[in-house]
Amino acid sequence: MTVLAVDRLVKHFPIHGGLLQRRVGAVKAVDGVNFAIAKGETLGLVGESGCGKSTVGKTILKLIEPTSGRIVLGGEDITALKPGAMWPHRRRIQTIFQDPYSSMNPRLSAGTIVGEPLENFDIARGRERDERVAALFERVGLRPDSMRKYAHEFSGGQRQRLGIAKALSVNPDVIVADEPVSALDVSVQAQVLNLLIDLQEELGLAYLFISHDLAVMRHISHRIAVMYLGRIVELTDKRTLFARPLHPYTEALLSAATAPDPRRQRRKRAIVQGDVPSPAKPPPGCHFHTRCPYAVADCKVKDPPLREVAPGHHVACHLR
Amino acid sequence: MSGNPGAILEVRDLATQFDTLDGVVRAVDGVSFDLERGETLGIVGESGCGKSVTALSILRLIPPETGRIAAGSIRFEGEELTTLSEEAMKRLRGHRISMIFQEPMTSLNPVLTVGTQIAENVVRHMGVSKKAARERAREMLDLVRIADSKRRLDEYPHQLSGGMRQRVMIAMALSCDPQVLIADEPTTALDVTIQAQILDLMLDLKEKTGTAIVLITHDLGVVAETSRRVVVMYAGRKVEEAPVEALFDNPLHPYTRGLMRAIPRLDVDAEEGGRRPRLQEIPGMVPLLTRPIVGCAFAARCSLATERCRAEPPPVVDAGGGHTVACWEVTP
Repeated sequence: MTVLAVDRLVKHFPIHGGLLQRRVGAVKAVDGVNFAIAKGETLGLVGESGCGKSTVGKTILKLIEPTSGRIVLGGEDITALKPGAMWPHRRRIQTIFQDPYSSMNPRLSAGTIVGEPLENFDIARGRERDERVAALFERVGLRPDSMRKYAHEFSGGQRQRLGIAKALSVNPDVIVADEPVSALDVSVQAQVLNLLIDLQEELGLAYLFISHDLAVMRHISHRIAVMYLGRIVELTDKRTLFARPLHPYTEALLSAATAPDPRRQRRKRAIVQGDVPSPAKPPPGCHFHTRCPYAVADCKVKDPPLREVAPGHHVACHLR
Repeated sequence: MSGNPGAILEVRDLATQFDTLDGVVRAVDGVSFDLERGETLGIVGESGCGKSVTALSILRLIPPETGRIAAGSIRFEGEELTTLSEEAMKRLRGHRISMIFQEPMTSLNPVLTVGTQIAENVVRHMGVSKKAARERAREMLDLVRIADSKRRLDEYPHQLSGGMRQRVMIAMALSCDPQVLIADEPTTALDVTIQAQILDLMLDLKEKTGTAIVLITHDLGVVAETSRRVVVMYAGRKVEEAPVEALFDNPLHPYTRGLMRAIPRLDVDAEEGGRRPRLQEIPGMVPLLTRPIVGCAFAARCSLATERCRAEPPPVVDAGGGHTVACWEVTP
């Protein structure tokens, strides 16, 4: 059952310049993205900085308005909803950030922070709210008596647990998790990843999991979408992605990533040269052609569409 | 004193402390290791383990207002650095020992061109003319594979991408042929494809120049794929040291073992019957470094810990082949 789908999602940020601050161009942060996530599923969105993965997340959460395309949440099109009309839908889609601390009011107790959505959505107040918050604290592995503490009294891993408890408080269907473990040390990262998997299996949550870390992706995702300069270049189940990557960029990413195995010191890495071009001036044709070792003449002029080349395996490349 | 004739750098019982409002922080608490000529030594550990402070101590860059090297010895080519004058240290830094950091933008001067900054270092340490130094700067940019080096010499740091800035830092660090390069999380801020380019470049240049590298990182993957030997640090102490293969094939310290099981694997399909496996968690947290740790620093989180572990500092056990571990309970 699909709980979230996006269809040809586009987000362009205008660039203004000159004396009259006219619009002189656009950063094409998200440039036509399609995917769907089922109940209980994790879709990983992976890519390097500036590929648009976080913008996809923010657009779906309607923190920024899409330029075009459709966002369908639980069967309802929420794309054009104004803030008031969006309100009842917000309960169904929640988010966890890389740094939960920055979104926590330092003058409120942890219990108040986690319980805020319960009041905002008129779900529970007073005693009932406190009981629910205590249960949430317990569920994410925090002591209920720490409800009276302030955010700064918690460690990084504990703050991420607070952020998860807050997101869970309103029983959402979908959680957008943007680099939720990137700032954590590995021993703590393991705790948070285990918690996220447990909660998903227990509650049937759907995750859009945004990260640059391929090892974390391989661990938590069911399917993975690889983004490059605003577009999905490959989308498939994770086993296929790691065993038979088809897009040259996916190949390059997998080859570049390091793994804790000294024998890999002697392997020949397929290293792509150069830097990612600016999303304000993406190359014509296939965005990856400037760094692609296999590029042919067609790649420089024709956009490769995302095609299904095997059941469930989508790739945007002229050569595959 | 000088025990290892192959070593270019010998660190013995190093202790570095900082004064804070909560008391004295024992950031590095009795760490010893050798760096051999031309080798790559990885120092790995989580935040707060003292790996960066170890690097800063070697370069004598601990801010004197708040911190100090409280004990121990650091010998570079047999010369004691802990007691060397600041003038002599200045001649050493950026010349015979140099350093690159995680964020090159904070170490590059934003108002000077790349060429000027590299040449400045060359003039200061090699005493050559400005013209020769500029030529050396161009050579260095070629060496770190920056295309169109002549034009790049006249560019400012903000005109370069993150990967290019790190290349400039490496060019500057290697411009005076150092014997030792200390790299503190050199690729942590970079994207995966750029990280691969920079790691390859560093290892390639090490082959060419024979510079020994101390690579400090939190990333076990980076260590595994670059280092010859590895030091694992926890709470300001060295808990294990081994050749890289031995460490990853047969980690001995409970902390090292815990770390290896806590990381999700990129290179193996870990699913059992379609189910995602659980990662092994290391319970608890790193101890506060403001209080002296009596026994083993890891005892509070260790499943093998006994009364003795909490009471007495662990012995260094020699497992053979250069593999040592500080633990009461592990028998190699």
